[in-house]
Amino acid sequence: MGIQEKLSTSRRGFLKLGAAATAVGSAIASSRLVAMEQELGGADYSPVTGEKRKAVPYTCMACNIEDGGVAMIENGRIVKLEGNLKHPNTRGKLCAKGNSGFLHVYDPDRIMTPLKRVGKRGEGKWKRISYDEATSLLAEKLRAVIERAKAEENHEILNEIVMKWGRNRTGGAVKRFMHALGSNSMVNHTNICESSKKVGLEPSWGPDIESCDWANTKYILNFGSNILEAAYFMNPNAQRLVDGVVGNRAKIVTFDPRLSNSAGYSHEWHAPYPGTDAAIVLAMANVIMNEGLYDADFVRDWTNVTAEQLIEHLKPFTPEFAEKESGVSADDIRRIAREFATTKPATTFSYRGPVKHLWGAYQEAAIHMLNVITGNVEKKGGYCLPRGMGWPQPEPVPPAGPALSAIAKPPLYPLASHAVSTNAPYMVMRGEAKVSVWMSYYDNPLYTYPSSHVWRAFLGDESLVPFFTSFSCYMSETTEMADLIIPDVTYLERHDPESMPSGLYPCLSIRQPVIQPLGGTQEFRKTLIDVIHKVDPDGSLGIRKYFAFDSVEDWMKQHFDNIPGLKEEGGYERLKKDGVWPVYGKVDKETAKLVDDNGNEVKAEYGLYTTEIPDEEMVGTEISEEGTITRDGKPIGVRINGKNYVGFGTPSRKIELFKEEWRTFGFNPLPTYKRLPSRDKKPDELVLTTYKVNVHTQSRTASLKYLAEMYHKNPAWMNPQRAARLGIKDGDLVRITSPLGYIVTRAHLTEGIHPEVVAISTACGHSAYGRLATLKQRDPAARWAQGNDPDIANNVWWDDRGVHPNPIIRLSVDPIGGSQGWYDTVVKVTPAQAGDKYGDTNVSIEQAMKDYDEMLRYAYTGDLHRAAHKEVDTDWDNLPEPKLSSH
Amino acid sequence: MPANDFKIPDDGGAATSGPTPPVTDMSRTELQARAGLYALLARCLESEVDTDLIHLFRGPLKETIDELGLDLGEDVMNAPAEDVEDVLENLAEEFTALFVAPGGVLPYRSVFETGRLFQAQADQAEAAYKAAGFAFRNVYSGEFSDHVAVMLAFVGCLFERQLAFDEADNASAASTCAVQRETFLREQLGPWVIGWSRRARGCALHPFYRTILELTEQVVWEDVSACSDQATLKRLALSNRRRLMRQTADPDFRKASGL
Repeated sequence: MGIQEKLSTSRRGFLKLGAAATAVGSAIASSRLVAMEQELGGADYSPVTGEKRKAVPYTCMACNIEDGGVAMIENGRIVKLEGNLKHPNTRGKLCAKGNSGFLHVYDPDRIMTPLKRVGKRGEGKWKRISYDEATSLLAEKLRAVIERAKAEENHEILNEIVMKWGRNRTGGAVKRFMHALGSNSMVNHTNICESSKKVGLEPSWGPDIESCDWANTKYILNFGSNILEAAYFMNPNAQRLVDGVVGNRAKIVTFDPRLSNSAGYSHEWHAPYPGTDAAIVLAMANVIMNEGLYDADFVRDWTNVTAEQLIEHLKPFTPEFAEKESGVSADDIRRIAREFATTKPATTFSYRGPVKHLWGAYQEAAIHMLNVITGNVEKKGGYCLPRGMGWPQPEPVPPAGPALSAIAKPPLYPLASHAVSTNAPYMVMRGEAKVSVWMSYYDNPLYTYPSSHVWRAFLGDESLVPFFTSFSCYMSETTEMADLIIPDVTYLERHDPESMPSGLYPCLSIRQPVIQPLGGTQEFRKTLIDVIHKVDPDGSLGIRKYFAFDSVEDWMKQHFDNIPGLKEEGGYERLKKDGVWPVYGKVDKETAKLVDDNGNEVKAEYGLYTTEIPDEEMVGTEISEEGTITRDGKPIGVRINGKNYVGFGTPSRKIELFKEEWRTFGFNPLPTYKRLPSRDKKPDELVLTTYKVNVHTQSRTASLKYLAEMYHKNPAWMNPQRAARLGIKDGDLVRITSPLGYIVTRAHLTEGIHPEVVAISTACGHSAYGRLATLKQRDPAARWAQGNDPDIANNVWWDDRGVHPNPIIRLSVDPIGGSQGWYDTVVKVTPAQAGDKYGDTNVSIEQAMKDYDEMLRYAYTGDLHRAAHKEVDTDWDNLPEPKLSSH
Repeated sequence: MPANDFKIPDDGGAATSGPTPPVTDMSRTELQARAGLYALLARCLESEVDTDLIHLFRGPLKETIDELGLDLGEDVMNAPAEDVEDVLENLAEEFTALFVAPGGVLPYRSVFETGRLFQAQADQAEAAYKAAGFAFRNVYSGEFSDHVAVMLAFVGCLFERQLAFDEADNASAASTCAVQRETFLREQLGPWVIGWSRRARGCALHPFYRTILELTEQVVWEDVSACSDQATLKRLALSNRRRLMRQTADPDFRKASGL
């Protein structure tokens, strides 16, 4: 029989052979044809002319991971972005958002010229003005506040100058600007992000979040993190997670109410009731401690608690208790606890899932404790400290403003070291803070915040916010409300110093313009210089000297030119060339590991806390009974078993599982579990959760063509059994109602969601942010004509832009960590009512204000706080008075 | 002014094409008029109306405007002097909404043809300016060389220059100017300005911009027609006829996407 006969001379036969060949995969893969990026290593050529394209390294800022990138430039235009192979933590890879970033630059919906409002606030009527006119106008407003503060001899007036940001990667520029103006009213975004995670960790071991050694681990417990798609350090963590699971055969177990892609990738997925992670974790700790599976030496030497103390504390948290709270079986909890404690090395990772709740900081502290008691901290393959690098600020550095700011650090949240930005509008509306000039940078609270309609009411009220400047280059929901827009450039056209603890190799990186700012636009840093020079033209206010930079490049040189090590290698110019420093090695083409010139893997450092203090540095120090080594009253290390170690970034230099400061304010000093109000919802109610997806940030990627086409609508995930009880079928129009009001969206039925949960993704349902985000080109409104963009006119095949859930999400702040409880809102889901239309949103400001009052009852001075913490041994009648602080 | 559609040759575009010497033969009077017309259109689309321009409409140009029946708006032509400032503010807002702010009908060839700012079309425009001894310089940020007003101004300058050479009896140089102008009209203005003007006119709220945009559409099409063969005209007409492709699929929930 000939070949043709064997294949039946049919297409089916060829396909059969093809399928079989595919199955054997790499065995027949070409050894000569490889991915271009892998082979060329950062070089690129024009497919038309064959000429080599100019490659300029930069640091990505499509989201907050700050990956290393290289922009390919042809004829002065960015034609392609790819990963920077010299970056040790992102290893030459960018995500979909990063690859699409250059679309920001040429987006016709980008704001290219300063705009001054000429209609009513929010009406959308503008007049273009020059950067010079715009910076003069802002300077005039700022100067008026400064002069009023002087005339009235009242420093607090300076805090009426407010800067609110969402993503501030300026390397200290915003702080310098605000302090130069004498204001401390800097309002970040961290409490809608991860603040309770940080507050759950930082008092225990020092700044910032864990950097897991995914690649070398054998066991990963993942709590509420969609690490393959979205969480902090997604790209580098996802790479190393795959290295660990595939290359090192690590097991991954995920706890998440929703079957995310990360959960789907895991060996086990458990769907606990939202906000019960700590019950599970404490039960695991209970098992580990009581079965003697803990690392006795580490607990004894490196924590501020005893094993006996922990065993006693963990008594109530049995696996059976956890099963009752979470729905995860006690048997599974016991089994996983034993696996985690006996598989070495192991690590946990967690992100927003456990912490975006009331008392979220407790949940993070509990997860952290699992690593501590099993001795996995700073081990190869374990749960490691973050590794970052700093840079000096140019001298002179302005001192902080003379008066502490309530809006920046609300006094009722003394432990929330990353602030409570959600409260800002409520505080002003209630007269607890005052605003004269509000400035907004990389921020869109009208979309990204809970009860987002409150921000619209707040920023729309000229009696509350007399003057509002946005530095955005996109017409976001928030920027639409501005009186003045001074557009920044995109992240590919500007300078910033960077260092993200995104892996085990600490490094500095640089954001630099890969092309000149498009069309004569001006980067934010230059705008800050211009504004200060106009506020204080002759230096008589003593402000100008803090911005005595000849240029933006001059400013950057002052950051980078004097860093030991980098200085010798060329400082700023060296960073411009490679985009990152140090260059640890190169990415091996076969293994994707970082290797040196001899092909040997570059080893990461572990056990940072065990670095010994040299004898000469011990001179002049004091050592306490507990072993803490101090110099001039400041802890610098700890003596253990006769050796002097640098230890951890805590007062005792040990891991402080027991947090005395928490007890002072009536919180449990040890990791604990508190049953959330949402756990006691009525049977016909559901818990509303939100989530991020792999191709979008919360807000600013919605206008990017590639990404909008991939993901643009966000139906509500519901469990089929639960939906059936409610009479809801897949694709049905549903009304989701919280105490704030309702939205109308569609249901997506899937087994991949807890039956008591309804989940809606972020990133959709914009009312602003350009034509692709809003699909407004289909509206008849003349002002939103489709602008002749052929892509938008001809290639937008979808009509559905999604529905935004944030208006019905209630304000709910963790009284410890300050985080917004994104996953605490209880809702009813019903079939849509007569007259309901997809996208309808109807919410109440009055209810939002009531939520604010209710929320304050959980703050440390509130009655609900006291009722929930009866076990805490503190002087309840003499809790500290609320006071302003600087953190 | 009638809103004629572009006339497409009825021979299906079979006419020959090839190197095009100047095909238009204009009198000095016409050259001067065309130079002035393009300069006026460019001025109106380049930046906001100011007092000088209003005075121009109300003074030297009034008779012609009335004669042609151009509707520039009652406020532009007749608002009392004390209200002129408000008129200018209103027109500036309209200008920004139409041509500057996000969501407007951005007056750049790059955007019209690629959906992105500052693409190769800007380079082509700049190259043409350079070849003729001009350079582009932006006044506000966000202005590019393929802005409709800059292109119109360039054509106006070429008319003016042709006239100057003609008056100096330098036929060769005048011919070079004419070739430059016609080439630019066919290759850089023709493919998009007519369609863009029509789309922008549909979005303009103030009669001033509706009229100026209609005038732009007509003037450019007339001049492009005068210097193009039928095949070119057909191609240009089609490239200007960008229309919205209406969504015809079921707008109801489609499970396959977005999840």
